[in-house]
Amino acid sequence: MMQIGQWIESTAFSDWIKSSPSLLAFPFFLVLHAWGMGLLAGANAAMDLRILGFAPRVPLSAMVKFYPVMWIGFVINAVSGILLLIGYPTKALTNPVFYLKLGCIAAGMLLMSWLRKNVVAPGNLSRSNGRLLALFSLLVWAGAIVSGRLLAYTCKYLLAGSPC
Amino acid sequence: MLEAATFDHSFREFVRWLSTTTVADYMHGRWEWPVAESLHFIGLSMLIGTVGLFDLRLMGLGKKIPIAALHRLIPFGIAGYCINLLTGLCFLTAEGYQYMYNPSFHLKILSMSIAGLNVMVFYTTMFKKIRTLGPGEDAPLAARIIGGVSLTCWLCVILFGRLLTFYRPDAFKWCEWC
Repeated sequence: MMQIGQWIESTAFSDWIKSSPSLLAFPFFLVLHAWGMGLLAGANAAMDLRILGFAPRVPLSAMVKFYPVMWIGFVINAVSGILLLIGYPTKALTNPVFYLKLGCIAAGMLLMSWLRKNVVAPGNLSRSNGRLLALFSLLVWAGAIVSGRLLAYTCKYLLAGSPC
Repeated sequence: MLEAATFDHSFREFVRWLSTTTVADYMHGRWEWPVAESLHFIGLSMLIGTVGLFDLRLMGLGKKIPIAALHRLIPFGIAGYCINLLTGLCFLTAEGYQYMYNPSFHLKILSMSIAGLNVMVFYTTMFKKIRTLGPGEDAPLAARIIGGVSLTCWLCVILFGRLLTFYRPDAFKWCEWC
């Protein structure tokens, strides 16, 4: 991982992300990542809460209209996340918390798709595990947010060869 | 000028005093700051997820959802707001100087104030008119504008919140009031 990180860090693009004084470089990628997080985790949480029985008069099947919001959030965060990763690859790749975060996001996205297909779109709450999975979805999104935030405090290396 | 200088002096004293309180001590522990930040991000997502979707409904997305029905999720947004107010006050108490003289913080507070005024306008002039809107019904133009202002304000709050780090007082001073 350290070697992969070192190679990415040696590219001009990685260097630009790290050292550009422009607010539209690293700082703006962080802003994008926070926006995407609010949209993706936030809209998912709203949907989970609806499935769990809050706001019961919201027609479940009409909630599919909010799926594009979640997907836009996901795309914003995939792109900004990759850019942040190119900036500081070793920092993330050598930190187990980073893989925990990726695991949470993968689980969250799978749950989001499963819930759409089996619960939200058909407007069907009779699937006994729908509510359980909505609760699980809330937990993994919270996990993704917390592990993402803790990346800054749990890293071993800032760059290949230099400790955090 | 003398008065302004006196005010500035007492303000600095106040910020310094804040940093000597138990809360500030506590925030400087090993994990307290990261945990408060994590909660701040969770609160942010709760707010954007509920208030943001409500704004989008006002603006015309998901029209099959009755306004009043979707409004039942707003308490979760208020809960997120309260989490963020509390954790935010903890940051402010512990590291006042980092924020009080930071232009990005001023703009964040400005965005929050506009969002607050916008909410007041919404509940005093608009909510009664639109709470009866059923599925498929468009909100009036004024309500759409209120929704757009709300969403823009909260995105600005995130923007300036995330940029705080890059405008710490010593690093960058462009505003005359800091």
